[in-house]
Amino acid sequence: MKYYRNALILLAALALTAVTAATAEPTGLSVMQAVYDRPQGKDMSGLLTMTLVDAKGKERVRSIKQILGTFGAVDKKLMVFQSPADVRGTSFMNWSYAEAGKSDDQWIYLPALKRVKRISSEGRGDYFMGSDFTYDDLGDRHPSADNHMLTGTETIDGDPCWVVESVPKNPADLYSRTVTWVSKEKSVGVKRDYYDKRGALQKTLRVSSVEFISGVWIIKKTEMHNVQKGTSTRMEFTDVKINTGIADGSFSELAMTRGL
Amino acid sequence: MKKSIRIVAIIALAALAALAVMSAAADDGAAINGYVRSKVGALVDGGDYFIAENVLDLRLSYTLGAAGFYANPVLYERDGAVLPVELREAYIDMRGDLLDVRVGKQQIIWGKGDGVFITDIVSPKDLSQFLIPDFEELRLAVTGAKINLHAGTHGLELAWLPWFTPSVTPSATGIWAPTMPFATTPTIQSGTLPGFNLGNSEYFARYSWMGSSFDVSLMGGWFWNDTPAYKVVSLGPLTVKPEYYQLAAGGYAVSGALGPFILRSEGAFYGNKRFQGNPMVYPDGYAEKNEIQYLVGSDFSVAGYNFGVQFIQDIILDHEDDLVDDAVKNTATFVVAKTFLRDTLTVEVFSYVGLAAPDALIKPKVTLDVSDGLEVFAGAYIFLGDSGDFGQYDENDGVYAGAKLSF
Repeated sequence: MKYYRNALILLAALALTAVTAATAEPTGLSVMQAVYDRPQGKDMSGLLTMTLVDAKGKERVRSIKQILGTFGAVDKKLMVFQSPADVRGTSFMNWSYAEAGKSDDQWIYLPALKRVKRISSEGRGDYFMGSDFTYDDLGDRHPSADNHMLTGTETIDGDPCWVVESVPKNPADLYSRTVTWVSKEKSVGVKRDYYDKRGALQKTLRVSSVEFISGVWIIKKTEMHNVQKGTSTRMEFTDVKINTGIADGSFSELAMTRGL
Repeated sequence: MKKSIRIVAIIALAALAALAVMSAAADDGAAINGYVRSKVGALVDGGDYFIAENVLDLRLSYTLGAAGFYANPVLYERDGAVLPVELREAYIDMRGDLLDVRVGKQQIIWGKGDGVFITDIVSPKDLSQFLIPDFEELRLAVTGAKINLHAGTHGLELAWLPWFTPSVTPSATGIWAPTMPFATTPTIQSGTLPGFNLGNSEYFARYSWMGSSFDVSLMGGWFWNDTPAYKVVSLGPLTVKPEYYQLAAGGYAVSGALGPFILRSEGAFYGNKRFQGNPMVYPDGYAEKNEIQYLVGSDFSVAGYNFGVQFIQDIILDHEDDLVDDAVKNTATFVVAKTFLRDTLTVEVFSYVGLAAPDALIKPKVTLDVSDGLEVFAGAYIFLGDSGDFGQYDENDGVYAGAKLSF
């Protein structure tokens, strides 16, 4: 009898825990972890069109073919520039590791020199090819790099979002804090504000198109606006293909030299 | 000038016709790219032009499935004279899952050093203007077949070159003529190139692996030295004859990341290389010695500036005092570069420093991207010292400027 009473108490306790978990708001960390853990597909290929707009409205367009793949605990990316003509054939490869604290490996191939060169990945705060995106902005920042706080909910373009403020644990990081609007349905960051070291708004990122392709939410269009400089960069992904079986050998020195 | 315009027009029309034919044959894979560049430069002492050059560089490519071809005809107009059309590269590619084959005239570039050619021994160099041109234009193509076997991040490259291509040396009467390794000015007879037969073929192999944290490659070759040794034909008056010769070499190249530093090293052993010496001691005018060359270097960034530094050492084994070259030669290279205005303005200074003389070559350059595909540039060549590889050109300090339109 005592056995049955204890069992009923345990069941009641479990049920209460489940109800509480279902109705409780997530934490800032759990929201950002869900974004980080969102399924990406085993591999992806596509064409990236990057439009750089200067403060006077003059545009420069870069076209980049890229492939991405996950092999064990390593994410690999290969980008090959298609245009403009003076950078055609230039390729850039990045290997990033799930292992905490392990730096990325990066290489660049310049057709004029016909040589693949390893480059440092430490310049995460450097701007990517003259755009408004830093290398860090483009990468998957691990949630453990910041302290996160859920500050509320807001609807962006009809999409209910969590609002999360993230403060870097490393005071040497480029930004003093970021605020991210994360779609509750998709676990995709659809808007982000970046604040500089003085606490002033520096850049805003807006995602204007997200599509569900082969079981994966893919960001198709995004724009970064530097509100301090008046410059902006638009990125658009087209011809996106997921899980086509890209081999590990596609991320090699030879692949960089012969292009995609 | 009319002649040059006519030749340019003919090449352009031929390229467009070829493109039209290719495009008609298949929808995919036909492309025509290239650039037009105008460049003028003058010596600082006296203001004489040392370069007035217009270039049309065409890159024609066509891909059909796993096969393709590439051709790179280049037309130079230099100092008012149109030079013969140069076919910088022309080859056919066949690509497979496990191996790629490339047959034809091609550049094969090895090594990890910047501006240094320790294991980069396959493609010869155009040294007619010393190290002044861009590295892209310093390299010459070789004719032969190359096979790339690849498995993941492992690669094996095998090259067979049945036709020897020597480096181009500066004119003996031009401003880039090097100091000859003789006490008196010799009479130089014309040399002969190795004949075209199987025994004169060159063979090269390189294994490479790209991995987490570091990359490594091992290379070897049996080949003709790209620059000739001067064999003494007669002592009175001194008469010499350039002679090409075969030798073997083996080496390595490695690069890796250590925190914010990229470290690299490259080294090679050359067997029976010829070094000029006192003709009274060496009847042929040279002695055969083994040589070791290596470099260690690093790239790093500080406050947005990218730095690169390399130390290079050449060691002649079993050295003798009557050789012209020292037993050990130390050289360093330094580069600093930074971009501004969203990567549209690039400032770079590359320099070689000979540590024995001492002497140096400093090459500052500024490039501004006016718009996509159009750049203007200006730079200088500054030689320091009175002797040595760089100091011998102390009178040749120059400045230049130009524009380049890529399409």
